[in-house]
Amino acid sequence: MNSSNTLPVRKRKRRLSLTTKKAISGWIFVLPFILGIILVYGPIVFKSIQISFVDLAGTASRDVKEFVGFDNYKRIFEEGANFLEAIMNGIKALIIQIPSIVIFSLFMAVILNQKMAGRTLFRAIFFLPVILSTGVIAATDASSNALANMEAGQMDANTGETSFMSSMDLATMLGNIQMGSALVDIVVNLVNDIFDIISRSGVQMLIFLSGLQSISPSIYESCQMEGASAWETFWKITLPMISPMILVNSIYTVIDAFTAPDNNVMQYVEKLLRGGTSGTALGSPIEAVQVGHAMIWVYTALVLVVIVLVALIMKAFVFYQKRD
Amino acid sequence: MDNTPKIKKESKNKIRVEFERAPLWIRIKSKFFSLNFLKNVVYVIFRYILLIGVSYVILNPYIKKIFGSFMSPTDFQNPKVILISADPTLDQYKYIILENGYLQSILKTFLIAASIALIETIVCALVAYGLSKFKFKGNSLVFLLVVATLMIPRDAIRHSMMLFFQCFGESNPIGLLLSKLDPNYSDAWIQGTFIPRYILAFLGLGFKNGLFIFMLRQFFRGVPDELEESAYVDGSNTFRTFFSIILPISIPMLITVFIFSFSWQWTDNFYSDIFFTALEPPGTAYDLVSKMPPTLTDMIKNIERKTMYQSTVVGTSTILIALPLIIMYCFLQNRIVQGVERSGIVG
Repeated sequence: MNSSNTLPVRKRKRRLSLTTKKAISGWIFVLPFILGIILVYGPIVFKSIQISFVDLAGTASRDVKEFVGFDNYKRIFEEGANFLEAIMNGIKALIIQIPSIVIFSLFMAVILNQKMAGRTLFRAIFFLPVILSTGVIAATDASSNALANMEAGQMDANTGETSFMSSMDLATMLGNIQMGSALVDIVVNLVNDIFDIISRSGVQMLIFLSGLQSISPSIYESCQMEGASAWETFWKITLPMISPMILVNSIYTVIDAFTAPDNNVMQYVEKLLRGGTSGTALGSPIEAVQVGHAMIWVYTALVLVVIVLVALIMKAFVFYQKRD
Repeated sequence: MDNTPKIKKESKNKIRVEFERAPLWIRIKSKFFSLNFLKNVVYVIFRYILLIGVSYVILNPYIKKIFGSFMSPTDFQNPKVILISADPTLDQYKYIILENGYLQSILKTFLIAASIALIETIVCALVAYGLSKFKFKGNSLVFLLVVATLMIPRDAIRHSMMLFFQCFGESNPIGLLLSKLDPNYSDAWIQGTFIPRYILAFLGLGFKNGLFIFMLRQFFRGVPDELEESAYVDGSNTFRTFFSIILPISIPMLITVFIFSFSWQWTDNFYSDIFFTALEPPGTAYDLVSKMPPTLTDMIKNIERKTMYQSTVVGTSTILIALPLIIMYCFLQNRIVQGVERSGIVG
């Protein structure tokens, strides 16, 4: 009986409210990342932006800088006509590539979500590029493919090694059915890029699959009961339910495609960043580095604008299921 | 037709009955000769053609490389040889494994990739958990920063990252801090080593860590709050809840992240390029780790690639690099899909 009276006497310490406590633990959880931003990433990004605003030439040490304002940015337009051209070409290519990656990965995810023999095997094969076509493997593939194409090109110029059907044949065929030449170009390019498109849609396919799995089967069941065809079910059920994933994937694809080291703009800028001046009107490697930095930030800003645009456009079509 | 079942065979606890059914021919006819069945067959065939075709496109380069890996130099002069070697040898494998230190490279790369992937997985899980389950001021700002790290192309900061980790002296916040603590501080400990990659991993800034944080955040959002609440009522603090309740239930997702991280570290050439260019090659450097033989990335750089044969050798070495990944992938690929399925990523 006594024990119940000797409850621990609380010190009248100021106790934090639950919300404050939770906020503090939240901060502790994200602390590594915050530290990273403050100590490493922030300074690195800052330095990179700084380089785009200074003149490195004429200074012995790279730590001494002369602030030149927007000169480097102006020089992009004065001297880097190739850059603007590369950006225009890059965007043109991506306008076609990005929707085709999203549509292809959605299509494949819908098929891989169906029950069939060998589904595991097909899934395994389809996600293989996610882990295999990165870094050194992708880099060596690109260089050895270039070599192989070069040597193969001497033997048979028409049938490139990577295309299944000669693109000339395809172009003639499409031309024969009265397709406009711009459209023929688009289709031929898509067919030639098929490997690229497939190998870039791995992560997107995973995200779509996860989305498809989260649609309740009872919805499909009731559709079937009401007599909806598979076609109707796809447009009326699957597509709206998966639209949040389409938004995520579009943004991811935009980021992925714009920052891929093998796209034209990135290759052009990377050459400058490494101090290469060939094909530009820039005088010295140091200038190339400065202007390269200015370019990459212009480019990043552009990517940001594209992402915001894509997000705004897609937002209008996204359907969120209300959760009880 | 009366539908009472006829007893065919009866034993103690089994019974076989037979119903009066429509004749076989009618059953077959209604099953196989309907428009619906035809539609299904056409659909299934079309589906398999598509899947096999796409699989072929994906596997084609690897198949070519595998066949190429058995070729000998004479095969390239022989016009009849396209895929299958007329004079198969294992010379390419011998050359890579015995003369280029494949096994040592594998070991070293494995140690580095596995440790970095583990650190990245745990750090990303921590950050993602903090972002998904706690409301604090600046939560969405931190999330925006995560997306920003994903969005800024890593080539944009390549140069300054190189400068940052090469001049780890007073020009740099961490270096400044360390030199305040220790007057004899020098930045030699970090140059030409793998330490920068570990620093990046510990701070959640490694390759595509933004994506991992994003995926894990979506996953943790789907974990019901009641789990944590009941743990809290039972007297467990947030960190214990995280490590003993949240982490165990998110293992499939963590495995997915680990596989991605591991394979991207395994094939990494971006960071190894940054931290070893313009410096002494690894092997002469200060750190213990870098006294070990070069990584796979360095190995592949040492192989010449001027002729068709040499480029085939490079192809063979990419097979050998990919082989451990493929083996791991075969064992864990079901987990990948499962993990992402459970994440329920919603925009």
